[in-house]
Amino acid sequence: MRGHERDVTNTGQPPWKSPVALSILLHGLILGVALAGWTWTDPSEDPPPPSISARLITPNEPEPSPVTEPVDEPDRDEERRQEEERKRKEEAERRKAEEEREREEARRIQQEKERKQEQQRQEEAAKREREQQRKAEEAARQKAAAEAKERERQKAEEEKRRQEEAARKAAEEKRRAEEQRRKEEAERKAREERERQEAERKRKERERRLKEQQLEALAEEAQQEREAEERRKREAAAAKAREAQMLSESQKYQALIRERLSQAWYPPSSATEEMTARLQITLLPTGELASVKLVSTSGNTAFDNSALGAVKSLNRYPIPDDRDTFETYFRQFTIEFNPRRLR
Amino acid sequence: MNVSAHHKLFAMVLSLGLIAGCSSTGETTEDGAYGSDVSAVDQDGGSTVYGGDDDGGVSSSEMSEEQRREAEARAARAEEAAMREITTFYFDFDTAEIKAEAREVLVAHARFLQANPGQNVRIEGHADERGTKEYNLALGERRANAIERFLIVNGASRGQTETISYGEEKPAVMGSSESAWAQNRRVELVFQ
Amino acid sequence: MGNQMTNRSTTGTTPTSMVMTWLLMLTVMIGSSPAAHAELLIRITEGADSAIPVAVVPFAESGAMPSGDKISSIVRDDLTMSGEFKPLPPEKMLSLPSKGDEVYFRDWRLLGQRYVLVGQLTRTGDKVDARYELYDVNREERILGATASSSVNSTRSLAHHISDKVYEAITGVPGAFSTKLAYVTLQRSGGKALYRLQVSDVDGKRARVRLESDEPILSPAWSPDGKRLAYVSFETGKPAIYIHELSSGNRTRIADFRGLNSAPAWSPDGRSLLLTLSKDGNAEVYKMDIQSRSLKRLTNHWSIDTEPTWDHTGEGFFFTSDRSGGPQIYHKSSESAEPRRITFGSRYNARPRPDNDGKYVYYVHQRDKAFHIARTNLQTEEETILTRTESDESPSVSPNGRMLIYATKQGGDSVLTVIAADGGAAYSLPASEGDVREPAWSPIVN
Repeated sequence: MRGHERDVTNTGQPPWKSPVALSILLHGLILGVALAGWTWTDPSEDPPPPSISARLITPNEPEPSPVTEPVDEPDRDEERRQEEERKRKEEAERRKAEEEREREEARRIQQEKERKQEQQRQEEAAKREREQQRKAEEAARQKAAAEAKERERQKAEEEKRRQEEAARKAAEEKRRAEEQRRKEEAERKAREERERQEAERKRKERERRLKEQQLEALAEEAQQEREAEERRKREAAAAKAREAQMLSESQKYQALIRERLSQAWYPPSSATEEMTARLQITLLPTGELASVKLVSTSGNTAFDNSALGAVKSLNRYPIPDDRDTFETYFRQFTIEFNPRRLR
Repeated sequence: MNVSAHHKLFAMVLSLGLIAGCSSTGETTEDGAYGSDVSAVDQDGGSTVYGGDDDGGVSSSEMSEEQRREAEARAARAEEAAMREITTFYFDFDTAEIKAEAREVLVAHARFLQANPGQNVRIEGHADERGTKEYNLALGERRANAIERFLIVNGASRGQTETISYGEEKPAVMGSSESAWAQNRRVELVFQ
Repeated sequence: MGNQMTNRSTTGTTPTSMVMTWLLMLTVMIGSSPAAHAELLIRITEGADSAIPVAVVPFAESGAMPSGDKISSIVRDDLTMSGEFKPLPPEKMLSLPSKGDEVYFRDWRLLGQRYVLVGQLTRTGDKVDARYELYDVNREERILGATASSSVNSTRSLAHHISDKVYEAITGVPGAFSTKLAYVTLQRSGGKALYRLQVSDVDGKRARVRLESDEPILSPAWSPDGKRLAYVSFETGKPAIYIHELSSGNRTRIADFRGLNSAPAWSPDGRSLLLTLSKDGNAEVYKMDIQSRSLKRLTNHWSIDTEPTWDHTGEGFFFTSDRSGGPQIYHKSSESAEPRRITFGSRYNARPRPDNDGKYVYYVHQRDKAFHIARTNLQTEEETILTRTESDESPSVSPNGRMLIYATKQGGDSVLTVIAADGGAAYSLPASEGDVREPAWSPIVN
């Protein structure tokens, strides 16, 4: 096509003015437009996923039991922290104890109050049992309410404290956890570093081994393929040999049958070389004749009958022992009687 | 050739007797000469007398020409007569060709017939037993005809000859040997 | 991109490429057409060289049968003579059925027999009735069942009739066992010879002398109606041809020319004879009208031309001629055609006898030092020597073309021998005293 264009340019006209060039240009424009427009109608492509070069790390669950990893170097910061922690703990415990005393005292007071009040009530009860009861009850209720409020307050306080405690504990735990985490992270990092290196090494090992394996695999594959090929060839050869054997077996038995039938056939004196009778034979696997059918007459009854007589005179046809060969060739076949070499 | 040697000797003896009877001298016959002619007499030389009988006087040295010729003629006749004893002629297989040695004998027969116009001869042709009868019948006839032709060419007249063929039906010798066959392949002259 | 528009399409639009595509499709179709199921095909091109085993079971008899050979025995001999059958000796038979329902095919299969003939003879007064059946042992089918009868004096004819029918049922060719033979016998005692012209059954039996003579008798020939014989007789001192009516014994001398009168042969219509005469100088073939005695010369050559015989068309004839140096067989397709040489294989071939179908001509043939009977296939021109005997003469073919009789030497005497027409086992006819020669096979006459 380029040649075509060149030819066109030899016609003395300036190339860009030639009709063909123009047409090319036009077509090119059309195409360009078509393609460009085509891209507009393209559905927006999904942004390509950011490439990740990352290894998957299975997150290690923090061990509930203390880290048993032996620390090689004494860590003083660690000791200080631990002391601080002890102190805090002690403080916390003191506070706890205090709080507990306070609580206990509060309880005692309350119990005393309650006893007193109950005594008052009992004193007043006799008189104003009902009202007093009521009052007492009310008072009790009020008291109860006050107590409840107190309790609530205390609860709230306790709650506060607990929460504070909890917060503290949580903070402590956090700290502890954080420390542990840090520690562990550091350890982990160290470990990971080591592991990374180890893994690197192992990976490289593995890669090498993998390559080796791959090569071995390839070699083995090749070997297997060769073996498979050879096996296939052998099988094909065996199949061919089998076929050939079947064929030669069949030929051998064909020759035997031909010989036996020749000896058993008395063509009539009127036979000519033009006469041909065809019979279809069906044999049993024992070699006995199952059936015979005249499929093509010679035109001469005496000739046909001589052929039929010959076929029927054989008590047993020589057939191969191999069943496959028998089934393929000799279960049913055709015999053609046609005398040659009549002097 | 055996036959002719025998006859030659006979002829010589006869001619000897002839010379003895004449009791003339000066005639000799050549030894070993065979032919239809009696050889020339050597006139020179002395008189050699063969035989001992004086039969009518020994004349002086020469025989007369006429006597000589007569002697020759008688010798020839005798020889021919001897030959005419032969009346069977043999052939090779499947042929009617007359053999060389038969010719002169046949000539003798022919001359004889010619000299004796009242004499008839039947010529009988035969064949050996091999091959087919009808063909042998024709072959025998062909042989007989060949002999007949020869006789006629050599002086006999047609009216004197009659041919017949017996094919293989009348063998001279029974048997199935080469010798028997050879003797059956023949033509016989039967003078009547 | 711009090339898209200027590309020429390269598939299927130009004429040559279309043709190519078609051819390609065609070859693909042919190449991939499913092969027909390749069923095994075995070809049998030769049969057994030997004779067919056949069992002729002695017929059951009711009533007094004439003494002499049994009918089944005659049938057995006939079938043996043909060279095509091998009858089983009765002593080997396991059973002696006389009708179909008594035949156990297995018995006969065991004995290797292909056919079984069974029959019954019944005598009533002067008549003998025969009822016979022929079975194919392997197909277990009856292929012939018939009756026939004859006078008690002619049971041999009855037997030969049954042989004919059996032969035809198996081979498809009519049997020739009811035909006759004419031949000449010769007895020598002292210096004397006695010739007899005789006619007998095909097995040599029931021979009757028709002519007795001190002189040779040659070349008996049957008329086509089987009622007359022509022959050559030397009774007058020279060969002459006679026609002899068999029933009456009346004879006519029809050729007595100067020279040869020989080799008579009947025309198919029975009205003329071919002869060999030498009255015109040498042996030639002539045709004579029997009625008018008019002659027509058919050969003209200085050679021997003899032994003429009509061919199967009745238009042409074969004869022996030595025009090429030795006797050979020639054929003229009509009385005026040029003779065509038939035999080439040896220097001596004589006495042609063609069969009735025009397939073969039989003759005497010399090979080395021996004389055999040979035949030539007139289609293929192939020559085959048929006999192993070495001094053979006078072949004569049976009218069904299946048997050949000829004369040969056996211990110094000439005997007659029958062989199958393609050679094979020889069957010698019982030798009577002396020589037997010149056999001529009669035609089939109903």
